[in-house]
Amino acid sequence: MSGKRSAIALGVLATVTALVVTACGGSAGTKSTDNSSSGSTSSAGKAGGTLYYLTKRPVEHWDPQRTYIGRDISNMTRLFTRTLVQYPATADAQAALKLEPDLATDLGTSSNDAKTWKFTLKSGIKWADGTDVTCADVKYGISRTFATDVITGGPNYILQFLDVPKDAKGASTYKGPYTKVGQAAYDKAVTCDGQTITFQFNKPWADFTYALTLPAFAPYKQSADQGDKSNFTVLSDGPYKLDGTWKQGGTNTFIRNDQYDAKTDTVRKALPDKVVFTEGLTDETIAQRLIADSGNDKDAVTDRSIVPAYQSQVFTNPAVKSRTENPVSPFVYYLVPNFKKMTNPLVRQALNMATDRSGWITAMGGSTNGTVAQSINSPALLGYKPANVYNVPDAGDPVKAKALLQQAGVSLPYPITFTYSGGTPTTEKEAAVEKAAWEKAGFKVTLNELTDTYYDVIQNPANAAKYDVTWGGWGADWPSGSTVIPALFDSRINLNPGSNGQDYGLYASDTVNSMIDAALNQSDVTQQANAWAGIDQQLAKDVAYIPLLVQKFIMTRGSGITGYINNPDTSMYPDLGVIGVS
Amino acid sequence: MSVTPMGPDVVEAETVVSDDSSDVSVEQAIAGRTPWQLAWARIRRDRTSMVALVILVIAIVVALLAPIMVAVGLLKPYETHQNLVQGIGSIPTGAFGGISSHHWLGVVPGTGWDLLSRIILGITLSLLIAFCATLVSLVLGTLAGLISGYLGRWPDFWISRGMDLVLAFPQLLMLLALSPVIVDRITKFGVPTGNPSRIVYLIFVLGFFGWPYFARIIRGQVLSLREREFIEAAKSIGASNRRIYFKELLPNLWAPILIYFTLNLPVNISAEAALSFLGVGVQSPTPTLGSVLTDAASYSTADPVFFFAPGIVIFILVLSFNLLGDGLRDALDPKSSR
Repeated sequence: MSGKRSAIALGVLATVTALVVTACGGSAGTKSTDNSSSGSTSSAGKAGGTLYYLTKRPVEHWDPQRTYIGRDISNMTRLFTRTLVQYPATADAQAALKLEPDLATDLGTSSNDAKTWKFTLKSGIKWADGTDVTCADVKYGISRTFATDVITGGPNYILQFLDVPKDAKGASTYKGPYTKVGQAAYDKAVTCDGQTITFQFNKPWADFTYALTLPAFAPYKQSADQGDKSNFTVLSDGPYKLDGTWKQGGTNTFIRNDQYDAKTDTVRKALPDKVVFTEGLTDETIAQRLIADSGNDKDAVTDRSIVPAYQSQVFTNPAVKSRTENPVSPFVYYLVPNFKKMTNPLVRQALNMATDRSGWITAMGGSTNGTVAQSINSPALLGYKPANVYNVPDAGDPVKAKALLQQAGVSLPYPITFTYSGGTPTTEKEAAVEKAAWEKAGFKVTLNELTDTYYDVIQNPANAAKYDVTWGGWGADWPSGSTVIPALFDSRINLNPGSNGQDYGLYASDTVNSMIDAALNQSDVTQQANAWAGIDQQLAKDVAYIPLLVQKFIMTRGSGITGYINNPDTSMYPDLGVIGVS
Repeated sequence: MSVTPMGPDVVEAETVVSDDSSDVSVEQAIAGRTPWQLAWARIRRDRTSMVALVILVIAIVVALLAPIMVAVGLLKPYETHQNLVQGIGSIPTGAFGGISSHHWLGVVPGTGWDLLSRIILGITLSLLIAFCATLVSLVLGTLAGLISGYLGRWPDFWISRGMDLVLAFPQLLMLLALSPVIVDRITKFGVPTGNPSRIVYLIFVLGFFGWPYFARIIRGQVLSLREREFIEAAKSIGASNRRIYFKELLPNLWAPILIYFTLNLPVNISAEAALSFLGVGVQSPTPTLGSVLTDAASYSTADPVFFFAPGIVIFILVLSFNLLGDGLRDALDPKSSR
């Protein structure tokens, strides 16, 4: 149950969001709310030149089946990994939801109540070594996700949905292409007939095509697969290939793939001749270089939001402002109370009531960095409803919170430990502001900042007794509650002896679990969205989480960049499919 | 302190005498003064040292009082005033970093913490860390220097090689690389996780890397002292090594120890700030000069007051300690001329 997640210090995992959904024939139920700024920001560019990508956090995987970080998903699907269907390059929220065929000839056909899906591959698509991309490659690529001991880190929807028998514990009986245990069952569920691939699911999967855009569903060439050793192998069937081998934390260059035929591709413009990635820069350095805009930095983009210290420069200097976007990202920050420690519901309600969400945003750098969240779901999700069932004001209400604590009958001050991803002045300020707010309401807060790795620590069951509240960040894979609520709150798929999955608060509710089953079996997209909103209300009632904010990005680019767009499909990161340099 | 053989003082004494001759005329010629009194008189005549000393006395008094001022609510280093930081990127709303009658140095962006409170409490913690680390260096270095210098032969060989080894270490790299491991160890010993563990780490690691400097000086002094008559005398009447170390040699080493203590302290103040900036030292919200400076480092254009204030305080402290150290050296060891 590994997952996608976001973090201040760690960067962001999750993937795609869009604003209003029309999944597979369902009609849009809501209006786009506060979605972001401008569409395309500069005129379409010309081919050629070198694009520079400045970033901080090193790529963890280039293996498509192991990639689940929003930035890396958008970069690899734009540069070198093609999938059956793919998101368009657009800044329009509505158009962003209309998928385009990529490796497949069309958007596929479903039958049997969306339990059977069929796609046909285009001919003439080649790997960088000149061999054809075949149906068997797609089938093999998807099978790798089942090897959960080797292929870790990627999304695991396919394990839940594919019609492969499960053992008593709910784990798939197919163990992946390396051991080939249960291979026959997989071969029955995924079949190739010429260039046509067919998927059989055990329950309806109406929004399957959205999942198909994830690199986890990309083809993989069996002869190139060395398991864990292939983690940084760039296997290209797209417009670019890696020059040499990947140097972690260093500078790497992507060059044109001469086997790529642009005529087969409607998604990527692939304008620059080269794309150079530089990892390991600090946020301060990136901000300074992009503001200065000199030399090669004129042709540079980044996935790092401008840090608070440089925001006044970015927004008040017209020359820099014209090169800066401030879109709403798909990521929601939230807090989770530990249900094994904070067992009294009134104490959790008090914590919820005391939480200062606007204060957190100010500590982050103010309103250009986020807006107050009213739910774990981003307002961009289909059927979004606010879930502030206790009517907590943006800045919290310490008086009411204290009353709740007294009502709970606990002795004051009530001691809690707050664990968060720290290590930068900004994260420490966020925690300090929250500490001050909680202490006003009668808590006694110990701050426990994790400066190295974060999620693997809070997911470790051995650490569960150490903290009362933890921080988390999540972005939906596609604009549906089915990529949020089960992933975070279904105790059956999250909690196991080795890891707590994404259920950091050890929340386990039979009511919610059965509601999740009901929602997943719902084949109508709009009704399913309503079911997710209903579960969200229940979660809010239990204080399974405390929503903080919907993150906004502050993205500055060099003055030589053309065709820059805020694409919800690339999580508002630079869309390398259309960006050119002048 | 018995009779201390500080030769050249005899000459110095005459100058001192002539200096003071204006008020008392008869007694001074025969006034016996200890070397410490002589040194103090010399320091008093050195205006630079006096200014440095006054600054440092003020800083130390403030540092000692800061925890009390926090306790009674005069300093509020953790109180947030987010209404004062509503500029773009949450920089202070008012002019000059939000300086007002309530916040004499303005407020910290993002939280609205009072900058003056944080700098004052920061001086306390920074000085505490630097003082303890220097003390660790001093104790280790003095013991090593005494043993090495006095015993000679193989103990001298091994201790000297040990000093070479520590001095040859790429200190900063080691500090960065070892930090997670050692901090984790310290936490396992029962020190609270986070900043308390990091403070202990800083004290011991800075202290450890500083001892060879003390040891070399002490060793050099001991090498010359051990040939002197009073040591010979002590040896010939059968004094134990321990007695010779602590009763005969050590009293003659206070001057270099004091000088190098004063000169090593600012090195550790700077090191604390540097390590904090590199992410292995004390982190915000706990204020040390280093952690406040780390936060301020990127605000050079957005909030210059915030950027310069902690830097200037570090500069003044480090400069004062260095000047005082130089002054002390001149006063206690007149042989060394500038």
